[in-house]
Amino acid sequence: MFYLQLRNELWKLFAKKRTYIGFLMFLLAQNVIILLFRFTNGPRVSMIRTLEGNGYLAQQFISALTVATFMLLPIAYLLLPLYVSLVGGDLVAKEAEDGTLRMILSRPVSRLRLLLLKWLAGAFFSLALVLALGLFGVVFASFWFPWKGLFVFIPGELFSVFDAAGGLQHYVAAHLMMATKAVTVMGLAFMFSCFNVKPAAATILALSFVFANFIMQNIPYFHDLQHWFLTYHLNIWQYMFAQPIPWWKIGESLSILLGFNLTFLVIGLTVFQVRDIKS
Amino acid sequence: MICLSRLAKIFGQRVAVDDLTLHVRAGEIFGLLGHNGAGKSTAIGMMLGQVWPTQGEVHICGHDVTRRRSLALRKVGAIFETPAFYDYLSGWRNLEILSHYSAPTPAKRIREVMEWVGLAGREQSKVRTYSHGMRARLALAQALLPQPELLILDEPGDGLDPEGIHEMRQTIRRLHGELGLTIFLSSHLLNEVEQLCTRIAVMNQGRKVFEGSLAEVKQPKNWVRLRVNDFHQAVKSLREENLIVDERDGQFVALATEAGTDVVVRRLVEQGMAVYEIARHEQTLEDFYLGLMRNDSHR
Repeated sequence: MFYLQLRNELWKLFAKKRTYIGFLMFLLAQNVIILLFRFTNGPRVSMIRTLEGNGYLAQQFISALTVATFMLLPIAYLLLPLYVSLVGGDLVAKEAEDGTLRMILSRPVSRLRLLLLKWLAGAFFSLALVLALGLFGVVFASFWFPWKGLFVFIPGELFSVFDAAGGLQHYVAAHLMMATKAVTVMGLAFMFSCFNVKPAAATILALSFVFANFIMQNIPYFHDLQHWFLTYHLNIWQYMFAQPIPWWKIGESLSILLGFNLTFLVIGLTVFQVRDIKS
Repeated sequence: MICLSRLAKIFGQRVAVDDLTLHVRAGEIFGLLGHNGAGKSTAIGMMLGQVWPTQGEVHICGHDVTRRRSLALRKVGAIFETPAFYDYLSGWRNLEILSHYSAPTPAKRIREVMEWVGLAGREQSKVRTYSHGMRARLALAQALLPQPELLILDEPGDGLDPEGIHEMRQTIRRLHGELGLTIFLSSHLLNEVEQLCTRIAVMNQGRKVFEGSLAEVKQPKNWVRLRVNDFHQAVKSLREENLIVDERDGQFVALATEAGTDVVVRRLVEQGMAVYEIARHEQTLEDFYLGLMRNDSHR
């Protein structure tokens, strides 16, 4: 029964055209970045200079994996929160706005069960989005760049090089970790969606929360306080490219993200449980 | 089947439903009348566990909706004024999705219900291609899927054209006759209620101002239409003789229980008044409803 209901939630989600706006924009952004990297000199020259300045043979690392990872940063920081919060904000509020929530709640299904189903569908979407992002990124990059080693450089954060096989492992691991970011932002928008608000308001509230955290985290004077901001923990995926991987730091952030997710879910459930559903 | 006791709902400062007590027996077609904003939809929301009562209790099929909602709604189907569906999905998929919130529903049952409501052949079309009437039939189909014993219809005729309203009325009669369902219907369309319901309740500003059978509504008093040269003088005279108990609209008098029209005519003629017409008058639901609203607003 639970499986059937979850399957139906996924049907509802994946049959909607607006669900794919995120996928399409990602694909577009990825291809634009790849083509700019391939056909302009600026980014490539800068990367070659960084690699050779550190004593590496640049030609070994200008690869599909490197380009796929290079374009991951702006997409993960900006586009990913936007699209998962768009879907998370829709999950409850759109149904309330359209009137289908009232149709559902005339049935003997509990509000708790309904919300858990919707949250799981949202989490599934977030995971699918991140995996598609990783897969398509590397596939598109392979059309224009060779399959060689991976080079990752985040100024002030990390500088790593891997052979092709090791690079792929780190690339996959980073995406799996990025799914926690997608699920958390989706969960935040989902929480706002449980309030009596329009879907767009839920999305905007979630994005505002994420971007406000990001801005504060990046104010130099707040550097010592950065562990207190959600976005600091959302971006642990990038440490999957570190050598060695700081597992203790990742474990700590994952625990904090779990706490955030549970808090968002409990607040959402409580608000939804006590509110009146009216036309 | 439905039992509301001392039910109240307050939204902020506004009292939407005030001390509503109502009993609907199995097998009835019960109509809840009231103008827009009278509290009908809020009362239905509380029956379905969508709106939390501020006070009072709701029992459906013997179960408390607030505490045991799943049990209470197991055999209930509901249709709302503007049925909402997932327009981008087919009618079939919509039914599958909605019915699975009640219980797993075999494809055979969905096909059966689609045929019953006359949507066979269009089940795989997207709902966005459905006409208003077809959406109303799909709403009925989703309500019938869990094989309900009670059907709650919130303004079912709203937005339908005369043909649609006629079709809906026929369907409700079939549901009652063929499937033996108890039907609870809220509406502000007096004609609809008058033609369908056996008992009614009337709400005004959140309060119930009447509950009774349609027969009681139509003949609560022994009304006759009286045309004389001086209606007020005639009323005064008949009151003095205790032959009438009420009068209204400058042309109707309610006869006292033992007074017949012959006695009234004789009395008036004896007093030198010309009687042009005296005829029994069956009160319509509209007369009754408007009278109730007038009296209630004078309170």
